Amino acid sequence: MKSDASRPVDGDRRQIALAQLRRGQVATVSGLVESAAIDSGRDASQSLVTRLRDLGFVPGARCEVVARMWLGGDPIAVRIGGSTFALRRAEAAAVRVELALGQARDVVAHAGSSAVTA
Amino acid sequence: MDATVTPLRIALVGVPNCGKTALFNRLTGSRQKVANYPGVTVERREGERATPDGRGMRVLDLPGTYSLNPTTLDEAITRDVLLGRLADTPAPELVVCVVDAVHLPIGLRLALEVKRLGLPMVLALNRMDVARRRSVHIDAAKLSAELGVPVVATIAVKRGGADALVEVIEAGTWIAPRAFAPALREHGAEDAEQMQRDMRALLAAAGYSPPRENPWSGRIDALLLHPVAGLAVLLTVLFVMFQAVFSWAEAPMDGIERAMNSLGGFTAAHMPAGPLASLLVNGVIGGAGSVLVFLPQIVILFFFILALEDSGYLPRAAYLLDRLMGSVGLSGRAFIPLLSSHACAIPGIMATRTIPNWRDRLTTIMIAPLMTCSARLPVYGLLIAALIPARSVGPFNLQGLVLFTLYAAGIVSALLVAFVMKQFARERQYSPLMLELPDFQWPNASNLVLGLWERVKIFMSRVGGIILALMIVLWFLSSYPEPPPGATGPAIQYSLAGRIGALLEYVFAPIGFNWQIAIALVPGLAAREVAVAALGTVYAMSAAGDDLSAALEPVISSTWSLATGVSLLAWYVFAPQCLSTLAVVKRETNSWRYPLIMAGYLFALAYLASFITFRVVRAWA
Repeated sequence: MKSDASRPVDGDRRQIALAQLRRGQVATVSGLVESAAIDSGRDASQSLVTRLRDLGFVPGARCEVVARMWLGGDPIAVRIGGSTFALRRAEAAAVRVELALGQARDVVAHAGSSAVTA
Repeated sequence: MDATVTPLRIALVGVPNCGKTALFNRLTGSRQKVANYPGVTVERREGERATPDGRGMRVLDLPGTYSLNPTTLDEAITRDVLLGRLADTPAPELVVCVVDAVHLPIGLRLALEVKRLGLPMVLALNRMDVARRRSVHIDAAKLSAELGVPVVATIAVKRGGADALVEVIEAGTWIAPRAFAPALREHGAEDAEQMQRDMRALLAAAGYSPPRENPWSGRIDALLLHPVAGLAVLLTVLFVMFQAVFSWAEAPMDGIERAMNSLGGFTAAHMPAGPLASLLVNGVIGGAGSVLVFLPQIVILFFFILALEDSGYLPRAAYLLDRLMGSVGLSGRAFIPLLSSHACAIPGIMATRTIPNWRDRLTTIMIAPLMTCSARLPVYGLLIAALIPARSVGPFNLQGLVLFTLYAAGIVSALLVAFVMKQFARERQYSPLMLELPDFQWPNASNLVLGLWERVKIFMSRVGGIILALMIVLWFLSSYPEPPPGATGPAIQYSLAGRIGALLEYVFAPIGFNWQIAIALVPGLAAREVAVAALGTVYAMSAAGDDLSAALEPVISSTWSLATGVSLLAWYVFAPQCLSTLAVVKRETNSWRYPLIMAGYLFALAYLASFITFRVVRAWA
């Protein structure tokens, strides 16, 4: 299990975890990894990744953290594809994102109109 | 109707919060049957609708799911029904895939997955009114051509909003040219991405433009999901809700009691006195009445719960409490079942089915009876009125404070028990929160009424049935054998229940219970509130219901010590005196192990709490 930690499933290099986004920051999903934070075996983290993908966390989708609980930010509320999901840090750790700052379409488009953009 | 032709079997499939159940209500009206799937306790909601050709349709409302890769019991049922894997539920002849037009991508992804099963399918674009208002563009004709199934717009919450769907179903244009057995393809990462590409291609073909963000929902969420303000709102909502449960229910509860009393009086007056009259008046009418009286409170509580659920607030409460509940090993998802348990632990325990992780679900089930259910209120009310002076403590009323303390004691001990269970758990399986926080909407009145009606029916038949049967059995136990001629003590002392009570007194003396309480606890084991009626019988009262507790009050306040009364209150916080709850736990966990553990640990806690309370209060007073 240990060796599988943070093994990229899809997506690529230079990214941060979704859980690291500040409130209000818009980012683009770059890939999903089997989260190291979930230490209950391959199956559980794989099914987590599958479910996240089914919910719309796919490369290219744009997302925004709309709320964070307490100081550590657990759980967080993420807006993606026009829907909002509550995710724990451990779950959000499976989603790698690239900050969308500086990209022109950010300014124009509304956060959440994501699924079709990529 | 031709007897050989069976109604068309239709299944509604969709992601949670897509308006599927509202569409189901629109299609079938009140002709619904709620039962369980065989062997499991997932609610099976089926309804019928007549068709012009006389064949009719039978519509099955499958549990909402994001995918056919299930993570919860409910979702597994949806997959199994579609695959025809369930006994007694043949695969549907037509699948109506309900998609929220406002959130087309996520619904369309599921639709693609369902379509791959090969079952005939119609796509219902629901909430089209909201979608138009939020300037969503969808070319239904193009989507239909690309997807290869009929696509119709529906507005489930509007009268006639499902007419187009009904027309398509009745026209039969959906009949698939190729009919083969449904099969599920497990989807790996590539497959899932292919599906996402297919979905985006479909969206592009249908000229889909995403909804305008509603500026209000963002602002409301900024408040409701705020770590401090959000929790303050949640506490206020809960306070108003419990306040309403007690204040609004008073009048109808009095009405029901009066009605049952006069029905009892009428029966007694028009029947020759004897065992049969006693069985009817005390056993059947008194027994049914003692249960029926909680109906108003349960209706009010469910009104709030259904309205909060329909508005989209409950998942937000689960979000707010997830961290807090996580520290004792519970999921935020446990909030909804535990909230329902304040009306009655039975619907609460049934609501745990939405918790995907078995360990979490079991913990939630085990602590649900610690929430102060409405059946404890008659006992609390009686004892508080009899033993606690109605003086004010600062701005509060002492009696109210005691009641609040009892509620808090239930919640705090539930959290402690959950914490202890967490320490005992061998492997901790991670269980995700991953909860959708749906768009806010006004609760729909007709859905609310239908939902309440369903709860009322379940309460009356399931719980009422069990309790009524038990009351009749207990009536026999406390009436027979009859006292010998020339006996001086109360008749109940000579009965079976009386003898059991006398034996129990040895057990209960250390915690301050007298023989009257010990006897009352025997029938009170079946259902908590029965103990009030039983105490009345023991004190040789003849009245029933409310009159009785009013008359009991002076007897209790003059003959019981404060320590005894408070000890009995402490007992009631914990004691698992509800056979229906234990029966439901047996059914939900499919084993005798957990109800037995539950009864054991709750009795142990009850005894311990009463023992300590009795000693402490006696030393003090």
